[in-house]
Amino acid sequence: MRRPAIHLASTPIPRQGQRPVGDPAVFLEPGQLTATTRRPVPRAQLGRRATIALWALRVLVIILSAMVIYTFFSQLGS
Amino acid sequence: MSPPLAPEPQPDPARSAGTVLLTPEDWARSHDRGRVHRARGGGRRWLLFWLLAGPGILAMLGENDGPSMVSYTATGAAYGVGFFLPFILVTFAMAILCQEMCMRVGAVTHRGYGELVLQRYGPVWGWFAAGDLLFTNLVTLIAEFVVIRVGLAWFHLGSGVAAGLGVVLVAVTLSGGRYWRWERIVLGLAIFNGLFLAAAIMARPHWGQAARSLVTFSPFPGGSLNTLLLLIASTIGATVTPWMVFFQQSASADKGLTHRDIRHGRLDTVIGGALAAAFGCGALIAGATLASHPGAGIQGQAGAGFPTALAHTSGNAVAAVFALGLIESGAVAILTICASTAYSAGECAGVTHSFNNPPHKAGLFYAANITVALIAAGIILIPGAPLLSIALNANVLATVLLPVTLVFMILLASDRQLMGSRVNTVWLNAAAAAIVTFVAGCGAAYGIDSFLQAAHLIPGG
Repeated sequence: MRRPAIHLASTPIPRQGQRPVGDPAVFLEPGQLTATTRRPVPRAQLGRRATIALWALRVLVIILSAMVIYTFFSQLGS
Repeated sequence: MSPPLAPEPQPDPARSAGTVLLTPEDWARSHDRGRVHRARGGGRRWLLFWLLAGPGILAMLGENDGPSMVSYTATGAAYGVGFFLPFILVTFAMAILCQEMCMRVGAVTHRGYGELVLQRYGPVWGWFAAGDLLFTNLVTLIAEFVVIRVGLAWFHLGSGVAAGLGVVLVAVTLSGGRYWRWERIVLGLAIFNGLFLAAAIMARPHWGQAARSLVTFSPFPGGSLNTLLLLIASTIGATVTPWMVFFQQSASADKGLTHRDIRHGRLDTVIGGALAAAFGCGALIAGATLASHPGAGIQGQAGAGFPTALAHTSGNAVAAVFALGLIESGAVAILTICASTAYSAGECAGVTHSFNNPPHKAGLFYAANITVALIAAGIILIPGAPLLSIALNANVLATVLLPVTLVFMILLASDRQLMGSRVNTVWLNAAAAAIVTFVAGCGAAYGIDSFLQAAHLIPGG
């Protein structure tokens, strides 16, 4: 299914003549304007395997961080 | 060239009316882009590079921070140049590969890492990423203030001066309301990271031995496995960290880089990586001149003994240059790490997050920037705080938390809907996956081994 999406890049910079002289927007891509970047990008659909792998990595990292923090405090105690 | 996401079906009222509503941020960025446009149109290549350089050099030299330089010096003092000199070069090659992805995603999407993870993969992953960043940044910032204090101690200045200097520096650089101004001030400071290379040259090391180790990766360090794992993990953490990923992508977007600037962005990243590797190797080589030193003076508060030890072996001038290098490395890292925290806070909260806004237009961004600096500065003023342990563990924590950050970076850079034809190649993804596996393996090996020793489940040593 093709999800609705927003324009992000690759739009050519307008040439000077296409906008009034002195218009600062002439140097910005449409995707760079704050009005555009405030709109969120569409949500990606992660597959089941990818989701499980990400959670497994997340849990591993939390356990390892806890180990490093435990070691840090035990070294302080000694 | 295939375009990224298709145009938004909902019309933009401002555009359809033939006008564009510009915020002050747009105006400032447009001014900078105008200079780029004129330099490119006029074929002025050096000016174009000068205008587009910044985020890559700052990320790389910012990561040559206080704890990293102390870690390199300690490694040199303990093991000589041997294995670690070429290993530093390998880690910076890894860093260049990772940071190029950040720059490319920022230039194509014009969005920071935090907001893309949050919007594309959901708030749970977005807030996890922001939480990791805040935690490691706070720990690292404390370590930066500690190292500034160490450098200032050589000039007989105390922790109050270190805390004040760091906070004032953050406040001064925030005062311009322009990304360009902030970036140029920090770049001006960052070039003094070269003091470590100057200290190494002045210390008259054995250059032949250094050249041999570059080719042979030897002698391989002996001694305790846990110490070796700590040094490997902290050397990785001294080169690639979560804040660099957040910082370079957000700074590339804030600077206004576009897909047309990717080639210059790559050059900026490679030059930054080469400079940082040279200066990091300088710290290692300077430390290696202490390998024959008795060592009592080296074991101080987060490397407090290094300037004194260098004064004994190489003279006061080398010690002073090294101490100034420590102050610089801590100061630049404070600025870039505070910026990455502020970008992340603004992106995750969905509010304005740009140096191109004045403080009253981007309250959270500026408040986050200065608040983390104030908290870290306050902690080093607490008498009896375990500053040495905090400084030494900062890089290891960054290494442990890095794999998740890198996995999302790879997902974003491989996302064809976001990146269009500028998506990662298969080879780049394979190299990035190898880096994630290596970093995760090193972090896990140290974390598990030290935990088992600390819990007395295996003998120490």
